[in-house]
Amino acid sequence: MKRTMSRSIISLILALSFLLGLGFLCFRYITENSLWASQTYNQYLSSGKGLTSAGTIYDRNKVALAYSQDGQRLYSDSYNMRLGTLHAVGDGSYNIATAVQTRYRAQLVGHSAVFGYGLPESLKSTGNMKLTLDAEVCAKVYEAFGGYKGACFVYNYKTGEVLCMVSTPAYDPQNVPDTIPEGAYLNNAISSTYSPGSIYKIITTVALLESDADAENMTFTCEGKKEFDGDDVTCLENHGTMNLSQAFAWSCNIAFADAATQVGADKMQSVSEKLGITKSYNVSGIKTAQGHFDVEDANGNQLAWSGVGQYTDMVNPAQMAILCGAIANGGDAKLPTYIDGVYSGGTGRLMSADTASRMQDIMRYTITDHYGDTMFGGLTVGAKTGTAEVGEGKEPNAWMVGYSTDEDYPLAFAVVVEEGGYGFYTAGPIARTAMIESAKSLGFEG
Amino acid sequence: MFRSSMVKQRQQERRCVLMQFFADIAVVGLRILLAIYAVFIIYQCFGSMRRQKRQESPLVMLYNKTIREKIPVICWENSIGRSKGSDIVIEDPTVSRNHCVLLRRREGWFVSDVGSKSGTKVNGRPVHSRHRVSLDDEIQIGSTTLALRRADEFDGDIRHHWFFSRVSSKPSVSAPLLLILVNLFYLFMAVEICITYGELRLPAFEVCGAMILFSWVLYAFSRGVFQRLNFELETLALFLTGTGAMLLVEQDIMDAWIQIIAAMVGATGYMLMLLFIANPDRIVKWRMAVMIVALGFLAVNLAFGRMEFGAANRIYIGGVSIQPSEIVKIAYIFVGASALDHLQTRRNLIEFIAFSALCVGALALMGDFGTALIFFVTFLVISIIRSGDYKTVMLAVAGAAFAVVLILQFKPYIAERFAIWGHALEDPYDAGYQQSGVLTYISSGGLFGTGVGNGILRYYGASETDLVFGIVSEEMGLIIALAIAFVIFGLVVYSRAISTRSRSTFYSISACCAASMMLTQTALNIFGCTDILPLTGVTLPFISAGGSSMLSCWGMLAFIKAADERTYSKSKLTGNA
Repeated sequence: MKRTMSRSIISLILALSFLLGLGFLCFRYITENSLWASQTYNQYLSSGKGLTSAGTIYDRNKVALAYSQDGQRLYSDSYNMRLGTLHAVGDGSYNIATAVQTRYRAQLVGHSAVFGYGLPESLKSTGNMKLTLDAEVCAKVYEAFGGYKGACFVYNYKTGEVLCMVSTPAYDPQNVPDTIPEGAYLNNAISSTYSPGSIYKIITTVALLESDADAENMTFTCEGKKEFDGDDVTCLENHGTMNLSQAFAWSCNIAFADAATQVGADKMQSVSEKLGITKSYNVSGIKTAQGHFDVEDANGNQLAWSGVGQYTDMVNPAQMAILCGAIANGGDAKLPTYIDGVYSGGTGRLMSADTASRMQDIMRYTITDHYGDTMFGGLTVGAKTGTAEVGEGKEPNAWMVGYSTDEDYPLAFAVVVEEGGYGFYTAGPIARTAMIESAKSLGFEG
Repeated sequence: MFRSSMVKQRQQERRCVLMQFFADIAVVGLRILLAIYAVFIIYQCFGSMRRQKRQESPLVMLYNKTIREKIPVICWENSIGRSKGSDIVIEDPTVSRNHCVLLRRREGWFVSDVGSKSGTKVNGRPVHSRHRVSLDDEIQIGSTTLALRRADEFDGDIRHHWFFSRVSSKPSVSAPLLLILVNLFYLFMAVEICITYGELRLPAFEVCGAMILFSWVLYAFSRGVFQRLNFELETLALFLTGTGAMLLVEQDIMDAWIQIIAAMVGATGYMLMLLFIANPDRIVKWRMAVMIVALGFLAVNLAFGRMEFGAANRIYIGGVSIQPSEIVKIAYIFVGASALDHLQTRRNLIEFIAFSALCVGALALMGDFGTALIFFVTFLVISIIRSGDYKTVMLAVAGAAFAVVLILQFKPYIAERFAIWGHALEDPYDAGYQQSGVLTYISSGGLFGTGVGNGILRYYGASETDLVFGIVSEEMGLIIALAIAFVIFGLVVYSRAISTRSRSTFYSISACCAASMMLTQTALNIFGCTDILPLTGVTLPFISAGGSSMLSCWGMLAFIKAADERTYSKSKLTGNA
C-alpha cells in the first residue's frame, strides 16, 4: 500500500502538468486574444457586426482618418489623405495586411479580453486608435508621387514614430473601385523589396571603413569602365581620380566595385547581415520584407557588381530608413512604429559609434558637395541616391535614402520610385517634400 | 398639439432605449452570475469531499513482542518486510526484504507468505498460501514475533492526508442541497437559451426536466438502496453531464436525448460495477475473461469498423453506432489494476505489456491515434504504480517511440495529419480550420460567453465532440470552461487522497488510473482543439456528445467511487478482528 501510494504520485505529476497546460492556455489567451478575435473568418466581425460600429482612427494630430456614423464607415474628406494613409488605415476588406482596420479590427469593434464580443450593442464601448502618422504629410507625399509606383517612409529614429508611410499605387477606401490597381493591397514601404542600385554603396562603405581604418584617404581611379574577373563593370561617367567621400558623392561604380573586391566576399556578406539587410524587422508587429545579399557563389565580377547594389541584391524601404537612422544615431536606432502606443523595440548595435560617425561625414558630404542644404530647406541632411537597373527594358528604379541630424528633427527616410529613372530627379523631390513636411510636423519652420 | 405629440414620442423612444439598456445589463449580469455560480458549485462539491469523515483509528494493531513496539495497521492490504518500502517495516536481519502480506477480507484477516527465505509461521505452524489469523494469534517471521491485537490498544497518532484536513462531522452543503444547486444550473442554462432565441424554447426545459429527474432517481438509489452517505462524486458527474446535454439542445435535440439516455445507462452500469468489484477476490478470477472480451471487442471493431473522419473506430449494430474502444477503456483499467496479493512482489509486467500493446496497436490500426495515446499514457501510469519498475517502463516508451518512427517511415501521410500542429492560425481555411476556429471563438466569447445557443463554433463539423471545449468557452465563457477542466483535475487529486485508505490496492490503483485516464483524455481534447497539442479528436469526459463516451465515463467513475472506503461500509465486517 505504501509503495502503491508513493508511486501513484505519477498521477499527481500528470495532473500538475495538466494544470501547467491550462496555465499556458490562459497565458496565450491573455497575450493573443485580440489576435485570435481579429481573424478574418470571425463571424462576429462580418455579417453586420463589422466596421460600421467600429471606433475612430486618428492621426498624430487627432485628425479622424476613419470613423463610423449612422451605420456607415467614413474616411477623411481629403482624397489625397485617404489614399496617402490607405496602407496604415485600411478599408472594409481584409486585403491590406498592414492596415489597422485589418489587424486591430477586434479592438476597433469593441472586443475586450473580459467580455469578448459578448456585450450587447448598448453596453459596448468601441475602441479608438491613434496612429503616429501625420496624415497631412502623407497626403502631400502621395501627391508628390504623381502617379509613380513606389514607397516613402519617414520616421523619428530616436522615438520610433513613423510620420510618413505612403505606398503607391493606392485606391480610395471610401469609393472602392471595381478594379483595384495591381499591387495596391501591398504596403511597399514595409512588405516589398527592390533592387537597391547605388544606395547599396552605403553598405559597401561601412564594410570598407570597418576593414580599413584609413579608408578615407584611399584614392580611386575611374576610367568609365574596369575589368573584374574577366568582365567589365561600367560607370556612367569617367570620374578620374577621387577619394572615398567624392566617390560616394559622385556614386562612382568603379570605386565601389574596387572597394567590394578589396573587402572580399566574406566581409561583404557579414556586414550586409549585420546591418540588417537580410533580416526582417518588427514594425509595430508587422515583419518587414527581408532583403537579399548572397555572394557565396559569386565570381569576382559578380562580387564587384554586388558592391554597387546590382547582382542579386534586394532591399526593403523601411529597412533602409532604419539603417540610415542607425547611422545618424551613432550605430543603433529605435525600430519604427506607426501605431501610437505599440512599441517595436530597438535595432541593437548595427555598427560602432566610430564607424557611424565616419559614415555620417561621407553621407553629409554628398549633400554639401552635390546638392546643397537648400534642397532640404535647411535641415542637416546626409543622404545617398540610387538608380537601380531592373532590366526587362524597364526604366531603372529611383532611390533616395538618408537622415537629418538636427537635434529636434531626428528623421530618417527612404524613398523608392519604380521606373523613376535617375534617382535624384524623381526620388529627390519626393524625399524633399517628405522630409520638410515631416520636420514641420515636429515644429520645423524652414 | 403637434408639439406635445413630438415630446411624447421622444419620451417613449427614450424609455425604450432605457429599457433595452436595463435588459442588456440583466442578460450580461446573468452570464456573469452563471460563471460565478458554476465555480461555486464545483467549490462546494470538492469542499464537501474534503470534510468527509473517514475512519481515523487503525483497523487493527500488531504488537512486536521482540522489541515491544505497537504498530498500527491502517490499510486493508499491508506488506511486511525489512525493505523501507514495506507498509510495516521490521528491522530484523532474519526477515526478508519482502516477507509476507497481511490483508483484510470480508471474512477477516489473513496472512500469506510472498516467497521469504525463512518462511512465515502462525502460532508456530508454517503457512504457505493465504492463512486466516484471529485476535491474539502470533505471526512469526524470522526471529520476530508479531501478535494481532485490537486497534483500541493503540494510543499513538496517525497522519492524515492533507486533502482531508478539514474533517468535520457535517458536510458543508448537504447532498440534496448540492443537487438542487446543480439542478438550478440546468435551469439557468435553459433560461439563457430562451433569452438567446427571444422566445420560449420548450425542448430546453424538457431536457432540463429529464436531467433533474435523472439526478433524483440516482440519488434515491444511492441513498435508499445502497445507503451511501456521500454523493459529491455523482453530483459532479451530473453537473458535467447536464451541461453537455443542455449545450446540445439547440444543436441537435436527438443528440441531447441520446446523451441523457446514455448517462442513465451509464449510471446503471456504474452501480452494477460497484457491486461487481465489491469483492477484491472476484476481480482476480474475472481478470482473464475481461481481457479476452476486451480484445474481442477491438477485433470486432477492426473487422467491421467503417472509416469516418480519418478513423475507423465505430461499428454499427442495428443502426446504432458504438465505439468499442470507449468500453474497452473500463476493461483496461480493470485488467491493469488487478494483481492483488502478488502485486507487492511480482514485478512481472509482461502479460500486461502484451495486452497494452495489443490495445494500442489495434487503436492505431483504426487510425484512432488520440485514444491510442490515452491508452499509452494510462499504461505508463499503471505500470509505474504497479511495479515501480522504471526500467521496464522506459523500455516500453522506447519501444513505442520506435514503433511511431517505423509507422511514420512507411506511412508518411499520417504525419501530415498532424503537420498543422502549432501554427493552425497560418492556415485557418484548410488544415488549421478547426483549431483556429476554436481560438477565435474562445476569444470572441471572453470570460463570460456570448450566451448559450448563441455561438458560431457549434456550426463547425464534429464540434459537439472534438471542439466542445471551444463551444463551452464561446457560449458560457472561459471561466466555466476552465472550471470544467478543473473538475477533472480535482478528480485526480481526490482519487489519490481517497485511496490512502482503500480496502484493496486494486481500488487505489484503479482509482488513480481511471482519473489519470480521464485527465489525459481531457488534456488531449482541450489542448488539441486549442492547438497546444496536435488535434486527435478525442472527447471531453461527460460533456462531448456521444453515447459510448458517456457510458465509459460513468464506468470510470465507479473505480473512483470504489476507492472510497465508505462506499462498501454497509457490508463492512464488524467485530471479527
